[in-house]
Amino acid sequence: MHSSTLHQRFEARFSNGQTAGADEVTVELTQTGLVIHLSGGDSVTWPLAKLATAEPLTTHAIDALVTCSETPGATLFVPGPKFARTLAQVAPQLTASEARWRSARPWIWATVALAALAVFIWQADLSPAHFVANLLPDKVRETMGRQVVGSLTERRRVCDANAGRAALDQLTERLSATVSPPRNFHVVVVDWGLVNAFATPGENIVLTRGLLEQATSSDEVAGVLAHEMGHGIELHPETGLVRAMGLSAAAELLMGGSGGTLGNLGVLLVQLSYTRDAEGQADDHALEILSKSKISTKGIANFFERMAKQHRGKGSGGLAGMLSTHPGTQQRLAKILAMEGYSATPALPAAQWQSLKTMCEESS
Amino acid sequence: MTNETAAPWNPQPGPAEPPSSQSEINLSWFAPFGMIGLSLVNFFYRLITLGIYDFWARTEVRKRLWSAIRLNGEPLVYTGTGKELFLGFLIVFGVVLLPIMLISFGAVFAFGPNSPYVGAVSAAIYVLVFFLFGVGIFRAHRYRLLRTTWRGIRGSLSGDSWKYGLTYFLTMLLIPLTFGWIVPWRTTKLQSMITNNAHFGDQPFSFKGGSGPLYGPFALLWFGVLFVFFGALMMIGAITHMVQTALGPGALEPGFKLPPEIAAYLGFVSLSIVAVGYLLYLFISAWYRSRTINHFAKCTHFDDARFEGRVTGGGLLWIDITNLLIQILGVILMLIPVSIIFALLAAAGLSPPEAGLQSPQPGLANGFLAVFAPISVLILALSFTLLLPVTQARSMGYLIKNLSLNGNVDVDKISQSTAQQMSTGEGLAQAFDIDAF
Repeated sequence: MHSSTLHQRFEARFSNGQTAGADEVTVELTQTGLVIHLSGGDSVTWPLAKLATAEPLTTHAIDALVTCSETPGATLFVPGPKFARTLAQVAPQLTASEARWRSARPWIWATVALAALAVFIWQADLSPAHFVANLLPDKVRETMGRQVVGSLTERRRVCDANAGRAALDQLTERLSATVSPPRNFHVVVVDWGLVNAFATPGENIVLTRGLLEQATSSDEVAGVLAHEMGHGIELHPETGLVRAMGLSAAAELLMGGSGGTLGNLGVLLVQLSYTRDAEGQADDHALEILSKSKISTKGIANFFERMAKQHRGKGSGGLAGMLSTHPGTQQRLAKILAMEGYSATPALPAAQWQSLKTMCEESS
Repeated sequence: MTNETAAPWNPQPGPAEPPSSQSEINLSWFAPFGMIGLSLVNFFYRLITLGIYDFWARTEVRKRLWSAIRLNGEPLVYTGTGKELFLGFLIVFGVVLLPIMLISFGAVFAFGPNSPYVGAVSAAIYVLVFFLFGVGIFRAHRYRLLRTTWRGIRGSLSGDSWKYGLTYFLTMLLIPLTFGWIVPWRTTKLQSMITNNAHFGDQPFSFKGGSGPLYGPFALLWFGVLFVFFGALMMIGAITHMVQTALGPGALEPGFKLPPEIAAYLGFVSLSIVAVGYLLYLFISAWYRSRTINHFAKCTHFDDARFEGRVTGGGLLWIDITNLLIQILGVILMLIPVSIIFALLAAAGLSPPEAGLQSPQPGLANGFLAVFAPISVLILALSFTLLLPVTQARSMGYLIKNLSLNGNVDVDKISQSTAQQMSTGEGLAQAFDIDAF
């Protein structure tokens, strides 16, 4: 062991830290300290606990440069690997591995704590994003909604034929009148062949031409609208965007860059899919809205069933994603069909329904 | 390394100054061992601390690199700490990065993503960032010099970092306006602003010389690049024309479609010409860079000595290309485990990594994916820097091995300057390295 090299004398150069000059000295290591024998005959002892080296000691060390916090500025340079190895044995706190562990330890604990917190949030079903979404002022939600609708309608025509628009407003009014506290829903139809509907922040809903064409009755459209209103009431779009923005902001932070996260709100929303719980909540709201406004739930049940058959295995976001990615469609249909038991009237009179269905064709 | 032939001219040493203390300084490089191992250990620590350990990792690398630089066999010492770098980053983050992010987010929210106002705000941010970039360079130099010692004597950098930042920014604006011809003057000016403010102990460094000697090499670079660019264009044009004439008179008509195999051949030839042109460009620019380094070394004086550089374009290019290959190797090394895990996940019938943006769905497998996707992003982002310690040691080693200090330095005369340490204490950010951005 190192006992053979303890008390062995090594040649070294000592600088007092006042000038860049140096003196030839000899040094020895003892169990308690580093003894420097100065050329004049005097000697100084540096306690092991107060030593520092220019670089952490490794097995590759070819020499050592030692300082002591008791004598700031003074340095001791000892050539040769033998002294460095002995020093690493008597003062292990100077080794590279100990130094690394010392500086990394607090951050490792912080990582562990963060991971534990994440697992807790996940297990306890807490949604920080939903919490943040609830705090957003209406103005911010409206702005978010405007931008999402803006990016969804950017390269597509908004259908606004007068008769169709009036019919849609009439239907929206009939449905939202049953919501309390009252919400001011605004529905936009875009000239888009895709069969889909999106709830967007700030009580905005986007319907596609494809969906209106696919629907066989106004009750079906009413059902879809009620379902999307349910998402809106529960702030699901806001929650999804807050979560996606949080994730990408975190990713950007990790990468140390700043990118155009916010320019792509619409793209993000299309990619979002809601959890089965969220879809269930939206369904519950839809059933309540439909029953209160005396519209049959058969419409939405038919529509979902047809869509689920056509879109099995495909579709990513929005309504189509909800239908295709979640296995509970059958249970949900059963729940919807069990709701009947009140006298329902058609969601829209036949003439208005026709105007709504063809509102994209008629507008110029 | 010692230059025996350069007989130092000694101006009659006074009796108080014994001639023995005037001596040559031998600058040498003791290549550090174990940099690959250090790279791997640092990578592991960075991973399990979510990247925070980076500041300590960089500090250990610097300690090793500084120790490899020897003056008369004794190492330079890096006395900076990871904590200082971390705090410096936090300050820069809070004072610069966070406000910039908030302002650009706010502008998008207030005006919408495609508004011209958003463009104006980002333009203003770019101007600010480029200005701060120069300030950051100066302060990073200051931090490193203050944290560098030899025989316990500190380096330092006086002067005004805002002035440097302003010079950096204004002369950068002039680069396109002068078709690049300001570059030699600009780099010389910026280098002299640093060198003339640098000290070791109480002894100043000085920069003696102008940008004149760089204009010859720069003209060669400038016309060389122009020549390579137009030469490549003309060669591609000539070969295309030759092929078309060989195909007969119809081939020169506008609507003519080349047969696919000939089009592929032409594409290959053009690509080869572009590749050769790019290599030529890399070589010319490396050669110019080597001339700049050697010129700056020659202009740098300390006491009765001055530096001499023997850097060559070929040497720099070799270091650059091999370093690039080493960094790519690091990425490949990290891609292997990540892609194996993804392949296993895919085999288990799980959704591809794009699912990372979707809301977490129940189920252990999806939970695992939700955890692994961000970790793999972290791994791949860090993998570019995996072997950075190795490449940094190679670059620095090449430079030091081709640098010497000729002439005499009176080391006993150099004393610690405590006054300087006080006068540079302009605030926390001053002392901290802000090259974090």
